[in-house]
Amino acid sequence: MTEKTPRATAPMLPGAPANGRRRGGAPSRPDRLYLLFWFFGSILVAFLVVPLVALALSQSWPNFAAVARMADVDQAIALSLEGAFLSATLAALAGVPLAYALARTAFPGKSLIAALIDLPLAVPHTVAGIALLMVFGRHGVFGEPLQTLVGLKFWGTIAGIVVAMLFVSAPYTVNAARIGFEAVDPRLEKIARTLGLGPWRTFLRITLPLARASIMTGVTLTYARSISEFGAVVILVYYPMTAPVLVYELFLRFGLDQASAAAVLLLAVSLALFLILRALARAAPGRANR
Amino acid sequence: MKLAPRLYWVILGCMSAVVAAVAAAPAAEPTVLTIFAAGTLAVPFRQMNALYERKYPGVTVQAQFGGSVKMAKQITDLHQEADLLAVADYNVIAKYMFGTPAYAAWYASIARNAITFVYTDKSKYADEVNSDNWYKVLARPGVEIGRSNPDTDPSGYQTVQMLDLAEKYYRAPGLQQSVLANAPLANMRDTETALISALQLGQIDYLAIYRSDALQYHLKFLDLPAAINLSDPAYASAYKAGVAHTKNGDLAGTPIVYAITVINGAKNADAAVKYAALVLGPEGQAVMQGAGFGGFNPAYAVHPEAMPVELRGLVQPWPGS
Amino acid sequence: MSGGIAVQSLTLTLGGFRLDKLDFAVAGHEIVVILGPNGAGKSVTLETIAGFHRPDGGRVLIGGRDVTALPPERRNIGFVVQQFGLFPHLNVERNVAIARRKHRSPAARTAALPPADDAAALLAYFGVARLARRMPEDLSPGEKQRVALARAVAAAPDLFLFDEPFSALDTQTRVELRDELLSYLRALAIPAIFVTHDYTDALTLADRIVVLRDGAAVQIGPATEIFHRPANAFVARFVGVENVIDASVVAASGAMATLAVGDQLLRAALPPHWQGAPQRVRLGIRAEQVVVAPPAEAAPSPAVNRLTGRVTGLRTLGPLVKIEIDCGFALQAYLLGPQALNLAAGSAVTAAIAVDAIAVMPD
Repeated sequence: MTEKTPRATAPMLPGAPANGRRRGGAPSRPDRLYLLFWFFGSILVAFLVVPLVALALSQSWPNFAAVARMADVDQAIALSLEGAFLSATLAALAGVPLAYALARTAFPGKSLIAALIDLPLAVPHTVAGIALLMVFGRHGVFGEPLQTLVGLKFWGTIAGIVVAMLFVSAPYTVNAARIGFEAVDPRLEKIARTLGLGPWRTFLRITLPLARASIMTGVTLTYARSISEFGAVVILVYYPMTAPVLVYELFLRFGLDQASAAAVLLLAVSLALFLILRALARAAPGRANR
Repeated sequence: MKLAPRLYWVILGCMSAVVAAVAAAPAAEPTVLTIFAAGTLAVPFRQMNALYERKYPGVTVQAQFGGSVKMAKQITDLHQEADLLAVADYNVIAKYMFGTPAYAAWYASIARNAITFVYTDKSKYADEVNSDNWYKVLARPGVEIGRSNPDTDPSGYQTVQMLDLAEKYYRAPGLQQSVLANAPLANMRDTETALISALQLGQIDYLAIYRSDALQYHLKFLDLPAAINLSDPAYASAYKAGVAHTKNGDLAGTPIVYAITVINGAKNADAAVKYAALVLGPEGQAVMQGAGFGGFNPAYAVHPEAMPVELRGLVQPWPGS
Repeated sequence: MSGGIAVQSLTLTLGGFRLDKLDFAVAGHEIVVILGPNGAGKSVTLETIAGFHRPDGGRVLIGGRDVTALPPERRNIGFVVQQFGLFPHLNVERNVAIARRKHRSPAARTAALPPADDAAALLAYFGVARLARRMPEDLSPGEKQRVALARAVAAAPDLFLFDEPFSALDTQTRVELRDELLSYLRALAIPAIFVTHDYTDALTLADRIVVLRDGAAVQIGPATEIFHRPANAFVARFVGVENVIDASVVAASGAMATLAVGDQLLRAALPPHWQGAPQRVRLGIRAEQVVVAPPAEAAPSPAVNRLTGRVTGLRTLGPLVKIEIDCGFALQAYLLGPQALNLAAGSAVTAAIAVDAIAVMPD
């Protein structure tokens, strides 16, 4: 019946001129803009990447291999990854619903709550650690009942590690998820309701899949931030050692070579994990249909 | 936007005046004296810095505090620039700074300290514990004791050495083990001062720390016998019997003596030497004692012949060196 | 009978917007168009009927049930919005299949309509079976409309709700989609409430129109009545009446009145239930109801007003020519292109207006 309307824009490669090259080879305006952006962007990328690459290249293979084989190095990295995973999971379970509430409802004091969620990012890590110790320690308002009733301790345990990690990194999940939910057209949710889907089904089948990429970005950030946290973790938990604590101890005991080797190992493992997580996030929402 | 010609002259005049003022000002680049010091010296050295800056107004003192070994390694491994290093254990300078290349050529004692345990009203058995029964009370089940890492921090291995000496002193075999059983890995940090907040919050009951810290933080502390608390150089040979097994090797007990040195080739060697003179002299010693440290009169020095001339008069050779 | 659609005394305050005792019913399978300018509260009204806002007062009846206290998923409605609201992360088949209906209402359905839980058959009914695996972003507006209808029908609705689905489309597509929608709605025999600010939508689709302004209905009635007998100047202008003229009543008797416009006299039929004898009124005359001809003698007739005047302007609008005439007052009329060939500014013409082509409206 009706003719299919062609798609609004063809996919554009960065730097590809929108209207083709004019005759004579002079680049049209979009080219110059991208060039400028890539120029400044590459300065930033270099700033971030070169120190890490220098660190990696400073390693001698025998030294690196020796450190990688040390049992406590592997244990520390595994503990960091495990703690960060638990922290990211808790952030997702509690933070995603919160983000949805913040995105959809208006209530007095909403901007205050949103600002409070960002607050942990501004707190110096040592101070955060002491505050958490106050609350989750032996005589703490949460710590004491949890210890006596459930036997859950936070001092020197993985629970303490997770608590410190979560405190400093949860805001990333909440903020990213909130932005993701705000980008979902509420009318789609309304339509889903009219089709007979209740609030729960609507959230799970419509809202969540559409916000998935943002949520995954936030969770990845939380995960990354959790791995690197030192100041807050070390107030609650020195042993068992997470990777940042171990790197610090290696520096004190041996020196820069061993410490940087352990750090490079941690970075390599983290990089591999982030690539996997990004790949999961990029899986387009339509693929689920196959 | 065109400015009225008169405005041009006004602006030009102001700019010339500023340039002239800047050019005429004496090339006074303020000298910055960089000090790396042990964490426990934070309080007395802040007072010392104020004293110094009053005496020598052209110099600003910037001090960084941390574990003695960490501060030494920041110089030897990270090649950070410092003019003066002050440590909680004179052995740290000998061990890390005298090597090849040599970062320091001498050191002098500036204070002494004692190992003790601090506690609060909230601590378990706080009402019972005293200088005679402490080793029995601290070994009771349920008591949480904090200490610093013997592999990285002097107060950590000094605590272990003290307990070894105590075992012999009180003729109580197993004393060290039973007390350390209440100080598991979970209660350990890289410096003892990191555990003060844990003590104040009641997470731990007793903390192995220096007497100077006890006085500075106004905490209750136990008066342990001089024969075991590493405070008196007179007991130096007896202290050797207390041994701590660490990842850096077996360390025999030595008196807790704080030492200072000027880094070889320091950018502000002159200012650093003046600072050392202040610390070693009567004014500096008064500050140290006011902060709860024991003093020397005069200070001991190792390799005094390598010291700057101004300082040699303030020291005597280290006993036994 | 899939009737029993009614909005009774619906009152709502939402932010700065107020809906004031809205009252209308949808009979049988008819299409009711809620027509009004932007900000009149059309979408809010629709969403209240759908169950997304709780009214402060009044009731909503759908399928004979009082659904005022029910959540949207229990109201048995189909909802189609601007750009059709297909779920972007699901393909066409899944979009339709996701609907679920807890209980079927005893609504009559046309024999041709497949059962609501057969997604494939529904897609075939709307002619989009071959698009089953496509993603919504790859569909044309027409295809999207059909998928949206299929999806809404999959939920076995007792009532369709349309919230300006054509607003973002170009005129040509809009016309095509509108016609197609009309044929589908007639075939499905499901009542619908359609919200728009474009009166041409109402022209095509409406059985009855509710004209909404600032949360209140200013006129409710069959489409022809709204267009030819607008209740006041606002409605008149909104449904595209080109000539809205101030006049005063000279005489009124029974169903007829004589009105003075400037120094011209016109006779017009009064609307039924005309109240009182206001002196000042407004007249609404649709441009196409003004018959323009070269000056000629014609017998005066009680049923037709004949005026003489001069052409003051001509404007070509596609196949039609809009002609402005001064006959003692300004008047607009339409002519077919060829008819206007001999006319130019200043030409003398006669304008004939039937007495029942003039809507008399309160001031």
